[in-house]
Amino acid sequence: MSKATNHSGANQHHRPIPARKDVVRAEKLQAGYAGKAVCGVVSFSLHSSQSLALVGPNGAGKSTVVKTVVGQLEAVSGTTLINGNEVDDRTLDFRREVAVVFDDDAFFPALTVEEHLAIVCAGHGVDEVEDVISAELEFFGLSALAKSRPYNLSSGQRRRMLLAAAFVRPRSLLVLDEPEQRLDTSMRHKLAARLRAEVDSGLALLVVTHDPEFLITVATKALFIADTIHAMTPGRAAEAIASENPHAD
Amino acid sequence: MTKETNERFSAKEIRQYTFRAGLSRTQGGLMELISEVYTSILGGLTLVTMAGALIVALRHSLGVGDESALLASAVAPGFHSVTLLQASATVLLTLAAGLLTLEMTMGPVAMSVPQTAWWLGLPVRRRGFIQPGFLKSMAWPSIAAVIVVLPLSLGMAADPTPGNLALAVLCGLGLAWLLYGIAAWCQVTGSGAWLKKAMGAITLLAPLTLVATALYNNVAGTSAITGRQTAWLEYLPTSWPLLVADGARWPLLLLALALGLLALVYLNLERITTAALKKSAAAGAYAASSLLSMDATELSRSFSTGPATGNSRVRLKLIFTKGTANTRSIKTLASTHATMALRSPATLLRVLVLAAIPASLASVEFLGNAILIAVAIYLCAHFSATALGATARFSAGNPAVDTLMPLPAKTVRQVHYIVPGAAMTLWAIICFGLLLALGVGSPALLILALLAGPGLGAATLRAGFRPAPDWNMPALAGPAGPVPTGAIRAFLIGPDLSLIVLLPVLICLISGGVPSIAFPIQLTLTFLAFQWGTHIRKPKSAKDGGLFGVPQTAANK
Repeated sequence: MSKATNHSGANQHHRPIPARKDVVRAEKLQAGYAGKAVCGVVSFSLHSSQSLALVGPNGAGKSTVVKTVVGQLEAVSGTTLINGNEVDDRTLDFRREVAVVFDDDAFFPALTVEEHLAIVCAGHGVDEVEDVISAELEFFGLSALAKSRPYNLSSGQRRRMLLAAAFVRPRSLLVLDEPEQRLDTSMRHKLAARLRAEVDSGLALLVVTHDPEFLITVATKALFIADTIHAMTPGRAAEAIASENPHAD
Repeated sequence: MTKETNERFSAKEIRQYTFRAGLSRTQGGLMELISEVYTSILGGLTLVTMAGALIVALRHSLGVGDESALLASAVAPGFHSVTLLQASATVLLTLAAGLLTLEMTMGPVAMSVPQTAWWLGLPVRRRGFIQPGFLKSMAWPSIAAVIVVLPLSLGMAADPTPGNLALAVLCGLGLAWLLYGIAAWCQVTGSGAWLKKAMGAITLLAPLTLVATALYNNVAGTSAITGRQTAWLEYLPTSWPLLVADGARWPLLLLALALGLLALVYLNLERITTAALKKSAAAGAYAASSLLSMDATELSRSFSTGPATGNSRVRLKLIFTKGTANTRSIKTLASTHATMALRSPATLLRVLVLAAIPASLASVEFLGNAILIAVAIYLCAHFSATALGATARFSAGNPAVDTLMPLPAKTVRQVHYIVPGAAMTLWAIICFGLLLALGVGSPALLILALLAGPGLGAATLRAGFRPAPDWNMPALAGPAGPVPTGAIRAFLIGPDLSLIVLLPVLICLISGGVPSIAFPIQLTLTFLAFQWGTHIRKPKSAKDGGLFGVPQTAANK
């Protein structure tokens, strides 16, 4: 396990992956529930140092696609490979490489914020645990709340805690579902800059977002999810978000 | 929790850290411990008392002990009952199917929602996280097996020696573990959807076979189904504990089968997917919150199908063009409520089955006594009434829904009454009609029940719109610790009205006659129930008035 501490606020725990190697490869993937597709057929590849944003209107199937990519939902059809292997979140390799943050508001009621993060560090064999946790708490503005229990935090603070949990551990792929939700403007900017820096130094990022500014800062490419899928540049995707129309000028 | 090397902690160490860190922050100490011990002992004594009462009732029914007037049969002389063997075999089959459905819904290998969220993503061997849930979840079917098998064996065995009883319980445990193993294997392999559906159907339909048999026997004459013809039911695997209680030993084979299956599941525990564990954790959380909300229907739903999902083809007319604005709004609202009810066919089926339960009891040899039937009628009526209260509960939780139509609040509440009022009237006709067909009661009692039905619909509304418990009221000492009196009061709202409305019918059933005065009394009670059920409570702040509880007038002075 490698760990490089960046004292500018970002502990860059992402694993160095040889350039141009596919971290994620989705082939003719159809996501849905109980065998019924909710959006069009998706094919994409994501390398290290790349960030793919999934955009589209509410209910288009973005989160369903992401959950299918990381194996939380069964695909209606098609395949997904992560680091060359079929997706199976029961394997050690998968759990070692892939960090996922969905909107799960589930916490141990008796544990503090820093104890939740300590569990993640322990499972991933992070050394200098106190320093790592302290740096992430500082980055996410939670230092003063380190000894608070999650249910005493606001929903935005709990969201920050979930994001911090993804950053205290090593990862070669980070999957975020609308990370900007419930964050204040300053934190959004800070997070976007941090993600961009991590992508530039090798992280593969798959992100669902509705925020054009966040998208432009973070993404290197984008997919508009609807009944049919449109690949586009981040700039074009930001325009499409504004009008929720892939054909928008 | 610092390790200087980058060595990963094991699942066991992470589990222990989570519990130790949590435990260090819980309050109480010795007094908490004493309270827990007290709760366990009292809980155990309650179960033993309940089991004892059941055994005494069964042995009374079998003619052992004094014949009491209260235990006199309510069924007509010459009535062909279902044998006790058929009844107990059916009950065991139903309970086993119910247990399997429940286990398949709750996992059966269970973890809590935070555990699935924070532990399962860690790159350590998952066995250390899953195994405790596998072992702990086995406790529930084991307890259920003892509770069911012990009294039934004691009540039905010809020679209930301690050895035979112990082996019968062991066989019951084997059966429970086999069911647990089947459910766990389905969870491991991600299969068994059809099995869950089949078990759900058995749970609903098996009790009805008792009524059907009794009805058939009473019209079939010489071709009636005899005890010899139903003797094979004793050989259903679910009845094997009763065979052991009677001295047979070969059914203990169940134990070996169960242990073999459990070993297979144990070896494959890590194959359970994260998604399956998350699903069972969510089902467990839903059941726990239903239990806390003290809502029988939500609880039964959480134990069976979970929250309703999917699309329905039921489409009733919702837009009306004729009549005044008031009439049109009322029609739309009533049609909406009917649509919601019809889109839950499982609930309606459950209500129908509940209507047949008292008749099932009456159809069993020796169990057709009036008191037992009256208790069954009350419980079934109450559970049916609450089952029909989904719309009311939804509106109580989302008051804005009831303000969508330009109607006074009182009228909206009265519209809420239409569906449960009609449904419970139909329920009363079916329930007492079946009882009459079996020779219990009389046509006059059926008419009295028909008059009580609309009152039960009002009980639906009273339970559905019950106010939230007032957690500020003083607490009472309960077996599970302090219980706010507000919570007890909230729990009793609904069951109270069901009992009041049914009192004349139940008294007439037990006494064996229907005096003419019963009809006006029943009508009055039903009318009062309607007024009570459709009454809209004023919010507390409106009663108190002013800030800090100071009456408005006084404050103005």
